[in-house]
Amino acid sequence: MKKALTVIIICLLLCGCEDYAELNNLSIVTAAGIDKAGDKYEVTLLIANSPKNETTNKEGEAKTTVYQGKAKTIAEAVKIIDKKTPKQLYFSHINVVVISEEIGKEGFLNVADWLIRHPQTRNRFYLMQVNENKAGDVLKIISPLESFPSQSIATLIESNKNSRSVGDTASYSNFIGRILETGYEPIMSTIKINGTVKEGSTQENLETTEPKTYLSLGPLAIYKKDKLIETTTKKQTDLIYVITNEAKELLYNIKYKNSSINIFSNAVKTKIKLKNENSVDIYVEAKGSIYEANGNINLNSTSEIENIEKIWKTSMKKDLIKLIKQIKTEYKSDIFGFGNMIYKNYPQKWKKIKDKWNEKYFNNLNINVHTKTEIISTASLTKTLRDDEK
Amino acid sequence: MEKISIKIEETIDKIKKIYGNSSDINTRIINIKGTKIGCIFLESSSATATISDFIIKSAIYAEKSKTIFDNLFNTLKNKLFNCQLFTIENFKDFPYYLSSGFTIIIVDGNDKAIVMETRANLDRGITESTSEPIIRGPKDSFTESHSKNLGLIRKRIKDPNLWFDEIKLGRRTKTRITIAYINNIADKIKIRKIKDRLNEIDIDGILDSGNIRDYLTSQKSIFPQIKSSERPDTACQELLNGKIVILVENSPFILILPTVFLDYIKSPEDQNQKSINISFTRILRFFALIITILTPAIYIAIATYDQNTIPDKLLISLAVQREGVPFPTFFEIILFMTVFEILRESDLKSPTNMSTAMSIVGALVLGQAAVDASIVSPITIIIVAITSICSLIFQDSDFINGIRFWRFLFILASSMLGVIGILSMSLIWITKMASLENLNTSFLSPIAPFDKTGNQDAIIKEATPNIYERPKYISSKNIIKQGGRK
Repeated sequence: MKKALTVIIICLLLCGCEDYAELNNLSIVTAAGIDKAGDKYEVTLLIANSPKNETTNKEGEAKTTVYQGKAKTIAEAVKIIDKKTPKQLYFSHINVVVISEEIGKEGFLNVADWLIRHPQTRNRFYLMQVNENKAGDVLKIISPLESFPSQSIATLIESNKNSRSVGDTASYSNFIGRILETGYEPIMSTIKINGTVKEGSTQENLETTEPKTYLSLGPLAIYKKDKLIETTTKKQTDLIYVITNEAKELLYNIKYKNSSINIFSNAVKTKIKLKNENSVDIYVEAKGSIYEANGNINLNSTSEIENIEKIWKTSMKKDLIKLIKQIKTEYKSDIFGFGNMIYKNYPQKWKKIKDKWNEKYFNNLNINVHTKTEIISTASLTKTLRDDEK
Repeated sequence: MEKISIKIEETIDKIKKIYGNSSDINTRIINIKGTKIGCIFLESSSATATISDFIIKSAIYAEKSKTIFDNLFNTLKNKLFNCQLFTIENFKDFPYYLSSGFTIIIVDGNDKAIVMETRANLDRGITESTSEPIIRGPKDSFTESHSKNLGLIRKRIKDPNLWFDEIKLGRRTKTRITIAYINNIADKIKIRKIKDRLNEIDIDGILDSGNIRDYLTSQKSIFPQIKSSERPDTACQELLNGKIVILVENSPFILILPTVFLDYIKSPEDQNQKSINISFTRILRFFALIITILTPAIYIAIATYDQNTIPDKLLISLAVQREGVPFPTFFEIILFMTVFEILRESDLKSPTNMSTAMSIVGALVLGQAAVDASIVSPITIIIVAITSICSLIFQDSDFINGIRFWRFLFILASSMLGVIGILSMSLIWITKMASLENLNTSFLSPIAPFDKTGNQDAIIKEATPNIYERPKYISSKNIIKQGGRK
């Protein structure tokens, strides 16, 4: 018994508390921005728990600080920041990583290695690209509704997941997963700074009722391997989500008898079926209700509704075909994973074509779009207001 | 065996000498038709009114009557009005009876003595239980009077198979200890073992049932292996389950053997309420047990080693709270745990009218001021508060202290090894508990070893109409509890 006790005590003393760290000795990094400055990388880290001279901060209210470091590699830049902060940097709570357009064009994998290799980081963070502005600037924008910038970006994405379909594309693991998968090209969400950075990074931005600077989600960026090809438009983004079956809500505008009708659909289902080696069928089934209708349309009549359905069907089909054609011919990036389907179903064929898939064979792929639409209700009004006036 | 002298003066002198002429020893010599009789009693422990009414009065009437007594001793023995009356021949028995409140009557020329019960009523009445209060159920509790305690049990179980075996223990106190059991249910081997262990005790005094508790467990364990209770209904419930109850004179707390771990998460109220609600309450108590043992350890482990397991908003909030606190987390927790334990101890020991002052000092001064002065972080106060509230759910103070011991071990392990420390300490804890055994009953039964009959009323309680058998792990004799099984 005494021997066993001695062994246990010695074991306990030998462990030496290797990973020991007190909470107040950590600088909790919640967001990172990576920019390119000349031939150097500029890393910006957002540290969430800086008390900012307030010694009695009892409400658990955090103030954020941004540190920047410039070096030839990411690791070196982080080391420079580590020397600037009095506390130990702690990376496991990174929520958001923002990269600039230049990083995207140069290739994201140059940056990704550090993010994966670091023992503390996890792959459950959002990866965003910022156009026009510097990535570091995104972290400086204070939002009046959230306590620190990284949180506001994360909330922005999460709250939009259902309504404006940002979905899993914003997550880092999804992006890397698509790069590594055969016959799949990645897409990345973008974020946009509205207003000037200078105004957005000061406390005054919080004090006005109408924030002068705020962040908003932008359209998707299409990548090929890890390189940025093109940033799409808002409409293209919506349709890309329709094809990838991630669209939870879709607002579609059609012209009918000189009037503009908005159809809102919250049940868009898409199935992609591989017909044979050379052709793919895309079945889109949308159910929607009329959201807004101006003009002289009798919404009571079944034939009118059927007509609207038909126009919606054909115009959506036309738009989808146009989008696919643009992606096939202009961007040459298989973001829908058709190549992956061929790889899974016809591995022999894939072996022959995989080297020139995006450049040649993707373009030759026969893609048929089948749409089916149904208007299930006209919401609270059965007629248009103009119709009533008569 | 020491013979009683036939001369009463000689005997009286001897007794006075033994008691060192104590002030409470009283003697009275009465002459009845030429024969001297002597009454000896201790005025402190006997009811003097009874003595005057039944002994002195009778003796004086006898003196006045015309009857001639050929054998005064036998006449007294037969004619005195008292139900507890017997003769003794050994002088050595005198002190026991005197101190118990008996009156000794000696007759000149006889080497025997009559003892008659004239006990003074030195105990409080039957009151409500203070240590195990319940809402729904009988309110009476055991008192210091041994015969009252036995009566409280006897009045509930009218079966003659309820047997009371008595042993007198303690060289000086001569305390009566009663082993109560239902003869055709309780395990004979267990009863014999208990008697053997009790008979081995050779100590000068036993003042409470707690004094003999340690003799009855075979191993040294931090968790108590014998439950004590002051409720007659609990005692009877356990007797009906086949357990053995030990009552000690002058102690309102009885001992219940064998006790298993799950007995501590049961409450006397459990039998009186709907079984489904009781099952839920017991699960709650079980969680409280886990919380009270593990919370501080888990907090230390994740706050000092595995910060990545905390959700980011909480982590930032914790980090900001700890800003400016000079001590390491481990020390902070230990410090406040100790402060709380001291507070609890002093609250228990202080008179009731001081406890208000105590709670003001404890809650306001220590809690609020310590946070304001940045000595501890608010989260530490929360952790200590949750831990202590959860530990107070249990009624047995010995059990609470056992929990406290293990909690400190867990804190130590987690502060050195983090989550791995908690895991290894849990292994040690479970192994230790599983290895405990008393009276051939494993401490973790009926879960390990598994017992089907016992599990009908373990954590999940089945409805009483569906429990037909009493738990086998206690006693395998006469197992049917309820008839009418289909």
